[in-house]
Amino acid sequence: MLQKKICMIGDFAVGKTSLVARFVTEGFSDKYMTTVGVKIDTKIVTLTGGQEVKLILWDIAGNDALTTAATSYLRGAAGYLLVVDGTRRPTWESALQLQKAVMAAIGEKPFIFLLNKSDLSEQWEITKSMVNEQLAQGHTIIHTSAKMGKGVEQAFEELAEKMLVS
Amino acid sequence: MAAIPSSVVKYVRTLWMSEMVITYLFVNSDGNLQEWGGHPRYYGLSNLTAGQPVTEQIFFLEGLLPANHTEVLQFMNMGGSTAHVHILPCHHGTWILLLDATVEHERQQQIQQQVNELSLLNYRQTQLLNQIEEARQGLLEEKQHLEEIIEVKSRLIASLSHELRTPLSSIIGYTDLLDKAKQEDEKTTNYLTTVKNNASYLLGLIDNILDQARLEAGKVELQPSHCDVKQLLNDLKALFFPAAQDKKLELEFTLQRNIPSKIMVDSLRLRQILINLVSNGIKFTQVGQIKLELAWEKDKLIFLVQDTGPGISPEAQEKVFIPFHREAETKHIQGTGLGLTISYQLVNLMGGELKVVESSPSGTTFSGFVVAPEVYHQGIVALTQEGNIIPQISVDAKILVVDDNSVIRMLTEIYLKTGGYTVITACSGEEGIEIAIKEQPNLVLMDLLMPDMDGYIAVQRLREQQFIEPIIALSASNFDSDYEYALNVGCNGYLTKPVDATKLLEKVALILKG
Repeated sequence: MLQKKICMIGDFAVGKTSLVARFVTEGFSDKYMTTVGVKIDTKIVTLTGGQEVKLILWDIAGNDALTTAATSYLRGAAGYLLVVDGTRRPTWESALQLQKAVMAAIGEKPFIFLLNKSDLSEQWEITKSMVNEQLAQGHTIIHTSAKMGKGVEQAFEELAEKMLVS
Repeated sequence: MAAIPSSVVKYVRTLWMSEMVITYLFVNSDGNLQEWGGHPRYYGLSNLTAGQPVTEQIFFLEGLLPANHTEVLQFMNMGGSTAHVHILPCHHGTWILLLDATVEHERQQQIQQQVNELSLLNYRQTQLLNQIEEARQGLLEEKQHLEEIIEVKSRLIASLSHELRTPLSSIIGYTDLLDKAKQEDEKTTNYLTTVKNNASYLLGLIDNILDQARLEAGKVELQPSHCDVKQLLNDLKALFFPAAQDKKLELEFTLQRNIPSKIMVDSLRLRQILINLVSNGIKFTQVGQIKLELAWEKDKLIFLVQDTGPGISPEAQEKVFIPFHREAETKHIQGTGLGLTISYQLVNLMGGELKVVESSPSGTTFSGFVVAPEVYHQGIVALTQEGNIIPQISVDAKILVVDDNSVIRMLTEIYLKTGGYTVITACSGEEGIEIAIKEQPNLVLMDLLMPDMDGYIAVQRLREQQFIEPIIALSASNFDSDYEYALNVGCNGYLTKPVDATKLLEKVALILKG
């Protein structure tokens, strides 16, 4: 079976581990548990053409900049998800920086911006103009909520599709 | 030193491998797993098969092989324990070593958890502080907006007041003159008294509305001076005696013995407060008496006003100091419902308090105090306190009256002539300057609000042309700012319209006396 490595990138506490947990085990915990190093998970997805792909998910410890250790984790990734906490504007700035750093480390690979915690709309700090600016550059942005399960499967499947055509 | 026996080396190696839970794997250059050792199950690696592609058996190696240099992946968690993974390329393939890092991972995790939680807390705290600041700014803007509205309202009332005061001053003035003409006809005297009383009432009403507007806008500035409390009480007694007599009410005004002979207080405002309270008592009391007691203690003038009126209900007591509030049962009695509000605000402004201490169907007691320290040294007091000025009429003096309003001009002229002065008049600022320079009068009475050239400019021009004689400003405005501005441009005194004959002559005498 085809295997693809996906990296979860983003600042700490944006919900990378929760998104993977929601995707792999369909579970969610409100308690924040920081990740140290990297946590590996796998899940098989069936794409629109019926093809099955085993996704190897690297949930990398959150950071606002790419450390040397994190660069080693990226090797061999076929694509990545850039996760943003929609209720903390600085995590959006971090994601934009991280995208450039990842591209410098592993070259052009498919990626998607995930605006997570979309259930907390009253605390939302990401404006439409910020989103539109990225959309104008041809980037994909998906609103997700690991808590509610919103947009999670769509995000992983859409990235898997992108990785197969790239 | 003796060589370490191979059995000991082997023992140490086994112990070390066991402690570190070392696992090793060898992947050949085709990417197939060739051999392994140690504790692969400890890391969740089971069912390993030699000769099969390693990435199909050990998922995390996907994309990592072949490696062209040594690489260490720290804290890899593959669902079981956490390991540091060392990838070591060699001639025929790649060695992969897994060293247990579970304990270190847990320790690091605890530290990082605290750091991240603290950082999140700080962020939320900053956001909250920003929100509070935004709310504060919003409130500040709203406050400024409201202040602007109050300012506009206050100006409107002031301007209305000016418009009303000017005709009223001529009504009161001419009524006075007619009264002094000693009409024999009783009917005419009664008519005149009615006109005078109603005009005075109207003037009081305008003053109250203006005061309330100024208090709301925070524009009332106190002017403390030396006040003779005994004299004040006597004045009040004389003022209220006729009204009390009309209603057959007994007036009991008492002064505690320890009251200093002079206290420092805005005596006009104090007088206003007491007048409001006592006149309220007289107004609402049909039978019995009105008491006013003044006491002094620790720099405070304490007052108590008691009546035998119908009392104020507990519900009404809560609203008694609200502007324009009037109880249904008192609406037939003349008044605006501003007297107590103004008194309450003035008392607060004077650093004191005012409250209803007791009220029952047999009467009401108001009590309060204002800050009024004792005056120990008397200097120029005699010149400033009420009732102590003795006009020294200088009949030789020539006075110029400048006013665009012919009625006021004529009235002022009459007043001054009764004082024995020589009067010349001008009806505009320009004419006033011309006559003043030419005639060199001993004093100028200058109306401030005139079309074309107003009084402020006229005074300024006169001073520029070295006119050194005193100038008294005449204005319908009793705003402190207008008073100060008039003095700044060169006036020596300020009189608020309507001016009665006594006040005018006193002021003129005082200024001429120098």
